Amino acid sequence: MAKAENFSVIGQRVRRVEGYEKVTGEARYIADIVLPKMLMGRILRSPYPHAKILRIDTSKAERFRGVRAVVTAEDTIKKPWGAFFADQYPLSVGKVRYVGEEVAAVAAVDRDTAEEALDLIDIEWEELPAVFDAEEAMKEGAPLVHDDKERNIAMTIDVERGDIQKAFAESDVIVEDTFESTPQWHCAIETIGSVAEYAANGKYTIYMNTQTLFSARVRIAAALGVRETDVRIIQSAVGGGFGGKSCDDNNALVAAILARKAGKPVKVINTREEEFLAGSRPRVFMKIYVKMGFKRDGRIRAKQTRVIADNGAYSAKAPAITGVASLRHDTCYKYSDVKTQAYLVYTNKIPTGAFRGFGNPSAEWAVEQAIDKAAHELGIDPLEIARMNAAEPGYVSPHGNRVISCELKQCIDMAEKMMDWKNKRANKRPNTGLGLACTVHVSGKRHFGDYDGSSATIKINEDGKALILSGEGEAGQGCYTTMCAIAAEELGVPIEDVEISQADTDLTTFCLGAFASRLTYISGNAVRDAASKVKQQLFEQASEMLEANAEDLVSRDGRIFVKGAEHKALTVGDVARARLFRNGGAPIVASGKFDADSVLQDSTRYGNESGAYNYGCQAAELEVDRETGQITVLKYVATSDCGTVINPIGAEGQVEGSVAQGIGYALIEGLKMEDGRPVNPNFGDYRIPSMRDMPPLEHAFADSYEPTGPFGAKGLGELGMDPTAAVISNAIFDAVGVRIKTLPITPEKVLKALREKGNKG
Amino acid sequence: MKRHIVLNVNGEEYEIEAEPNRLLLQALREDIGLTGTKEGCSIGVCGACSVIVDGRLVSSCLTLAVACQGKEIATIEGLAKDGKLHPLQQAFIEYGGLQCGICTPGQIMAAKALLDENPQPSEEEVKEWMSGNLCRCTGYYKILESVMAVVNNKISADYQAGKKVREAKIQSLDVYEPVSKTK
Repeated sequence: MAKAENFSVIGQRVRRVEGYEKVTGEARYIADIVLPKMLMGRILRSPYPHAKILRIDTSKAERFRGVRAVVTAEDTIKKPWGAFFADQYPLSVGKVRYVGEEVAAVAAVDRDTAEEALDLIDIEWEELPAVFDAEEAMKEGAPLVHDDKERNIAMTIDVERGDIQKAFAESDVIVEDTFESTPQWHCAIETIGSVAEYAANGKYTIYMNTQTLFSARVRIAAALGVRETDVRIIQSAVGGGFGGKSCDDNNALVAAILARKAGKPVKVINTREEEFLAGSRPRVFMKIYVKMGFKRDGRIRAKQTRVIADNGAYSAKAPAITGVASLRHDTCYKYSDVKTQAYLVYTNKIPTGAFRGFGNPSAEWAVEQAIDKAAHELGIDPLEIARMNAAEPGYVSPHGNRVISCELKQCIDMAEKMMDWKNKRANKRPNTGLGLACTVHVSGKRHFGDYDGSSATIKINEDGKALILSGEGEAGQGCYTTMCAIAAEELGVPIEDVEISQADTDLTTFCLGAFASRLTYISGNAVRDAASKVKQQLFEQASEMLEANAEDLVSRDGRIFVKGAEHKALTVGDVARARLFRNGGAPIVASGKFDADSVLQDSTRYGNESGAYNYGCQAAELEVDRETGQITVLKYVATSDCGTVINPIGAEGQVEGSVAQGIGYALIEGLKMEDGRPVNPNFGDYRIPSMRDMPPLEHAFADSYEPTGPFGAKGLGELGMDPTAAVISNAIFDAVGVRIKTLPITPEKVLKALREKGNKG
Repeated sequence: MKRHIVLNVNGEEYEIEAEPNRLLLQALREDIGLTGTKEGCSIGVCGACSVIVDGRLVSSCLTLAVACQGKEIATIEGLAKDGKLHPLQQAFIEYGGLQCGICTPGQIMAAKALLDENPQPSEEEVKEWMSGNLCRCTGYYKILESVMAVVNNKISADYQAGKKVREAKIQSLDVYEPVSKTK
């Protein structure tokens, strides 16, 4: 429950710190960056899903007027790289494994020249048999995407906790089914891009719209074969990330390789088509078999899953995503006996990867439908099943996730009330249904080495304004505003007296960046620690000036005074100047740090993956048109336990945006693939929700306090899209009695299911 | 063959040399240096490149620069006047109508085109009109709120652009009437 604290900034509707730049067009995104002598780069991509490169002749392209550099694998160290498994090259070495893979690139005086020069590159191909379906790929004799990966299996998970056989034997009702998720593209309105320069001293400077600067640095340095400090990453404004800009693609590497060869800065911006083909790594497509056992009263007794995850041609973050899809849901409800088997399988398609929600949306899509199915078989209200099984503070999942704060039950209660659930259930109208689903998410995840921490430096300028130096970056989600609010609260200054620097790997300490809903919790704690140390320095100086003990001082609204003697206040600027401009002077500056109290999972995947867990419950009321299969969401409710809400505008925005992406995932989004080739990779054919697609939405935040979080806060960014698809599907079942098991839920699928049901009588 | 053309953007004239197939988007961003107009989909679907030409909202990624000679082109850079933000710009800040910001110039120009034509649209009319501008961050609720706040005259036009850092950033709650409600 919430700890009563008197906040002056936390909990206020704070304006976005970079809002002014963004509404005036002044914010500088990657495509807006122009450097002297800059060239434009274009990439030649594989037209084949699987083929050997027998010969590449670039001589004609090199001679083309205006071309300054042409590069192939011969200009690289031919060393594979990747977030978890090193399996992809900056430019194809010997063969290509998916349509869109980077084979060669040109830098020229302008984009059109570079584009024309691509046509002059002559390649002799030998097409190879390809495989596009993960289950097909696992069969003996299937074409191998990587020669050393038997049956195309990149990774397996096989975990059992408790005694699954006994647990099923003790279950009164057992449900089982198989659900298929869908690849979903991030569709940030800004595509991935980079501007790279190479200096004679061997240093690369790369402007990137990445959401993970230091991860980008380590991967780029490895692929280029240089030291990490030979690569400097500077973040531009980022036009939407959602996991897609976490440097799992080759855009920046190609720009860097071109820049070195050309000796001039090179800009490479993905077209929208390239973004679909080989840019942001879409959500991992999964086929999930679920079997669950329940006691007569609705309590969960056993859960077993088998996950087949489509890796695509290279691994990116899919290994961790598959792990999350297999294990994390077991932190949502109180489980004792669980078993999961998962296979991550290579296919000749675009590599899949991190998208908001990571493995959760796929897992929730399957498991929350299985639970709903059981509720209908048991004749118990699904909301009651969720409530009786919900995790509580102190719960330890079978895989070692240790829950401190948890207000899932409160979230369920709020959703019930906001939806008027009981009343609507009792007075059900024809073709109208209610559905709900719950979710759990992390606030940071320990998986890049044994570190899930952050650090930040704060300096007080001579005018009294604080500047936060952080390498976490801002991807558009509003974490800079959150960090400034946290620093302002701790320092006792107005938020307009706190600024935050552009993220730059040369100027800040190591930061992992934006993923796993980690910034409010992890980086927020580091910023608060730095602010607390800065405040201590200010108080030491002020105590001399006010002739008082530091313990008796208070800072409020940018003024420092002895408790009860506000009339004799000093400004922060007065104190900072007094500390600096004197014999033996020094600036007021301090670094803060935080590392979550979590545990790197062991070889059996046991270990508390995060420092704090956030929870949510969502519910929908919808109507199905039996004539057209059209689904109209009449009302949508999203409740979240994110601990203390630091900035309501930002928090609401995260929930609203998540639900929109969840609605897109559930009902709209999908790309037709033919032989590994996306058909029509554009916004005309891959539709994302528009304003008129959005249902009436109500949301609420639980009264919650996470003791290990900054001012009680924990993560929120992904929570809102995890359960949405299952919520919609469960409501459709409640409305018309058909269960849709593949995404997206199109009117065609609903009609087909209704017809089949009708035929069966 | 490049042609010499003159474009009137935000009341200022720019002389450029442009191929006949040069897009207005490229002319604005690359030839004139007004990069506030963004490219999102390149096929006229997402609305990120929205600008107003002679009072009409157009996708600058589908409009030829040469066809805009002699016309008045309005872009996001021309909205703030005399150090004051346009009420729509202010509303998007106050009501959280933006996150990553890449679609924001297009959203604001689209809303401006609507309000110039019809200063009192209904919420349904705003939804219909603004559905041509995609946003992947906000779920649109706060964009709708931002536009409706201007329609309902809840934004005072005195937000000082130059003073943005010094101004109190915490908005008063009495102007806040959420479309999607927080309980």
